[in-house]
Amino acid sequence: MERKKILVIEDQEDTLAYLTVLLEDNGYLAVGARDGAEGLEKAREEVPDAITLDVSMPEKSGIKTLQELQKDPVTKGIPVVIVTGLSDDFRHYIHHRRQIAPPAGYISKPIDKKELLDTLRKILS
Amino acid sequence: MSTKRPLVENLDSGVSESAPIASGLDIPLPYDVLFNEVPCYISIQDRELRILRTNRRFRESFGTKDGLYCYQIYKDRTEKCPVCVVEKTFRDGKSHKSEETWFRQDGTQVEVIVYTTPIYGESGDIVAVMEMSTDITEVKTLQRRLKESQERLAYLFEEVPCYISIQDREFRIVRVNRRFREDFGDGIGNRCYSVYKHRQEECLICPVEQTFSDGQVHTSEEVVISKEGEPIHVLVSTAPIRNRHGEISHVMEMSTNISEIRRLQSRLESLGLLVGSISHSIKGLLTGLDGGVYFLNSGFEKNDMARIRKGWEMLERNVGKIRTMILDLLYYAKEREPVWEPVIPLELAHSVSDLFEGKSEKMGISFQKCFADDMKPFQGDLDSLHSMLVTILENSIDACRMDRAKKDHFIRFSVWQSADDTFFEIEDNGIGMDRETREKLFCMFFSSKGVEGTGLGLFIANKIAAMHGGKISVESSVREGSVFLVRIPLMRF
Repeated sequence: MERKKILVIEDQEDTLAYLTVLLEDNGYLAVGARDGAEGLEKAREEVPDAITLDVSMPEKSGIKTLQELQKDPVTKGIPVVIVTGLSDDFRHYIHHRRQIAPPAGYISKPIDKKELLDTLRKILS
Repeated sequence: MSTKRPLVENLDSGVSESAPIASGLDIPLPYDVLFNEVPCYISIQDRELRILRTNRRFRESFGTKDGLYCYQIYKDRTEKCPVCVVEKTFRDGKSHKSEETWFRQDGTQVEVIVYTTPIYGESGDIVAVMEMSTDITEVKTLQRRLKESQERLAYLFEEVPCYISIQDREFRIVRVNRRFREDFGDGIGNRCYSVYKHRQEECLICPVEQTFSDGQVHTSEEVVISKEGEPIHVLVSTAPIRNRHGEISHVMEMSTNISEIRRLQSRLESLGLLVGSISHSIKGLLTGLDGGVYFLNSGFEKNDMARIRKGWEMLERNVGKIRTMILDLLYYAKEREPVWEPVIPLELAHSVSDLFEGKSEKMGISFQKCFADDMKPFQGDLDSLHSMLVTILENSIDACRMDRAKKDHFIRFSVWQSADDTFFEIEDNGIGMDRETREKLFCMFFSSKGVEGTGLGLFIANKIAAMHGGKISVESSVREGSVFLVRIPLMRF
């Protein structure tokens, strides 16, 4: 069976390494991107089955990246899971932000492995 | 209808009170009824401005004295007015309009709007002028009240001791008050985030946006930058402004300068705020630790030495960051008396660079030293100066590590002296900083490193330089790199 491809957009190198290896170990094909701009480029090139996206990144923030992913006809259908260390208020806020459609899921940092894998499995099933 | 047809055929017959409704005719004409009952003051005047005839309403308010001049009757004047619309009409045969204040016979004041119309005799000459005046006292009173209230509102808007801006849906500033103009410039037509924060894109969480979305009042605490480049702590509150259809057309943003309050807040309160603000940095570090543990465990399971090594490195790195964070917290939490002692600049420079040479080499960053060798000792707190230089160098390492646009990176650490000061300069060619980052760099809790920063390191470094009577200045360009220059005076006052 063909492995599902997940794009991990994360500026913190240890977290990026952790998530890509964790996903690979659990049967996914993981592709990493170190910032929003690279993430958008790889999303267009690789057209992954799902994306995990950090919010707090220098230059292009996760919110801006999510907005652009949702605008691009190539990437707008790809489910995005927000992985953030920011508070629940932020989660509430993004749901009320008119320019952004709510993402497919949220995972809080520190990351619960089981929660992440369950969320991806559910989204991709 | 010809305008020169006589409008009044028997002017002599009706002067003031002595004129009956019928004006000498046996049967009241509709004209007379209209003349008397129309809800305005009517008088007919000759060239001398003598009142020839008045209507009932006029007589009720201004009396029935015969042969008086108009200005005597309702202006209480002894001579004619400097500008007289009746005279104008006699002169040019046209209707004229004016707004005037008259006095009734009981002494009360009445605001009127006056219209004049010429009355032609059979020969076609103007024989009289009809003056029709409508009582607009109520309208005038309301207008006056409205104007006063608008002036009061405008005064409040301008003088209220906080920054006010009105913004449209694109976050463009359409109006600001005096305090705003003084500290941030006019700003009209510019986007809020560029004026307040010198940012190129909208803020991640914006109370104005929230108010546009839900019509509610929202508050937040922000650090903004004045036009002089000074960071100002503000407490922001927003309120919707609705158009006549009830739709939110604009949002008013009111920001109170709480910089002074921040400065005066007890260290304990600040520490509480700090814990809140660094919580997401801690979450990032915990994720890094989790990652290291995962690499170690899965490496042992798979007997994969590369994975074990990587996990160990991740653990070391994140434990190191946690250590720095805790030391910063402890430094901040505890009031520490500086220990003044002779500091030998060269020894300080070497002890700091020893910490970074190996680390930079491992990361592929060239570490260059340029130390003058004829430097004199100065009075300083060695531990805190050491900590300050370590913080700046760690920032430079991070700036190089985060930059993937360039292949080769360097950090240049230079130390020299002038007649009065010792200079420590740390230059890197890392990611550099935009204007917003540069201006907020030394603010407490500000970090450009996302989850990796606490917003304490450079704040404390700046305090250390200030404690020595010195200063840290920064030059930086995005994608080009940064230069931190620390100046410490040789003489401590």
